[in-house]
Amino acid sequence: MLELALLVLACGAATDLWRWLGVPLSGRVPADSEVFAWIGCVAYAMVASLIARMVILPSGVLTATLLSERLLACAVGLVAYYAGRRNLLLGILAGFVVIVVSGWLRGGSP
Amino acid sequence: MTSYPSRRAAFWSGARVSAGAPSAVLAAGYLGFAALAKAGQFPLWAALISVTTVWSLPGQLIMVEMSLAGAAPLIIVVAVSLTAMRFLPMTVSFLPLVREPHRPAWQLYFAAHALVMTNWAPCVRRVPELPVELRMPYFLGFAITNWVACIAATLVGYFLVDSFPPLVNRGLVLISSLYFVLVLSGEYSNRLALASILCGAVAGPLLYTVTPQWSILIAGLGGGTVAYFLFRRHHA
Repeated sequence: MLELALLVLACGAATDLWRWLGVPLSGRVPADSEVFAWIGCVAYAMVASLIARMVILPSGVLTATLLSERLLACAVGLVAYYAGRRNLLLGILAGFVVIVVSGWLRGGSP
Repeated sequence: MTSYPSRRAAFWSGARVSAGAPSAVLAAGYLGFAALAKAGQFPLWAALISVTTVWSLPGQLIMVEMSLAGAAPLIIVVAVSLTAMRFLPMTVSFLPLVREPHRPAWQLYFAAHALVMTNWAPCVRRVPELPVELRMPYFLGFAITNWVACIAATLVGYFLVDSFPPLVNRGLVLISSLYFVLVLSGEYSNRLALASILCGAVAGPLLYTVTPQWSILIAGLGGGTVAYFLFRRHHA
């Protein structure tokens, strides 16, 4: 438990490190430099790697769903998102409904 | 509509704007985060502490997923920190806008801590229209409202998983993935971002089959760097 608390606090410090560096650096370095472009690339790639992994090779309760169901949920979510003029809540709701209904159709209890 | 009579009025105006779509959308992401945490038996207290200290949905997801995958704490902290580097250009561009002379420095550090993409994007546009003394209150009203909504969403998500059957829980756990699939899809017109997303998305699952605990770190650093050199140099 102490280990977990320390981990969470360390993750908080590791995050605020970058936010707080902005206090002394603000006004002194341009916000559109090449280093920042690279930082943005790493951030995008890292989040995308996690999300792709969570959809394609899930752990936990999502292992009870099929890959085709998860991909369909993402696809329907995307369609609903753009059909609703980038309504994120609508997209999430659509994907949620797909994963629940497809599981129910395969014979799971709701 | 361009100004407010007092700092208090500016604070509440920021809070009102935030209480609509911005906080609802972010809270939906946190609902999914909480469902994922609960389903993986990541304790509620730790999830709540992470909302107030880490306060970054990608960082928190990485932390929960990697710790459930059994990654070493140091690797987790490094991965979380690498995704948080993106905050530096955000604070560098935002803090000069809200800096007031003769105000204690801790207020700037607090503002930096409260900053996330959801409040940065609208506030970096709105705040320059205000007199300088109203900017910080407007931002804090916006950001604190985000926070309250996300803490509430975390509690709700955690308890929803307990009160719904497994089939519904799968949907709740999928929300955090759906959230980022939708958010990331919005970058389709930004070549560099799109290339980074595709590199990461291909590398992530492949590397996970080889080395689960290092996969995010290598896929992020490697995929992002490859995308940067392929597309920044030639298409800038």
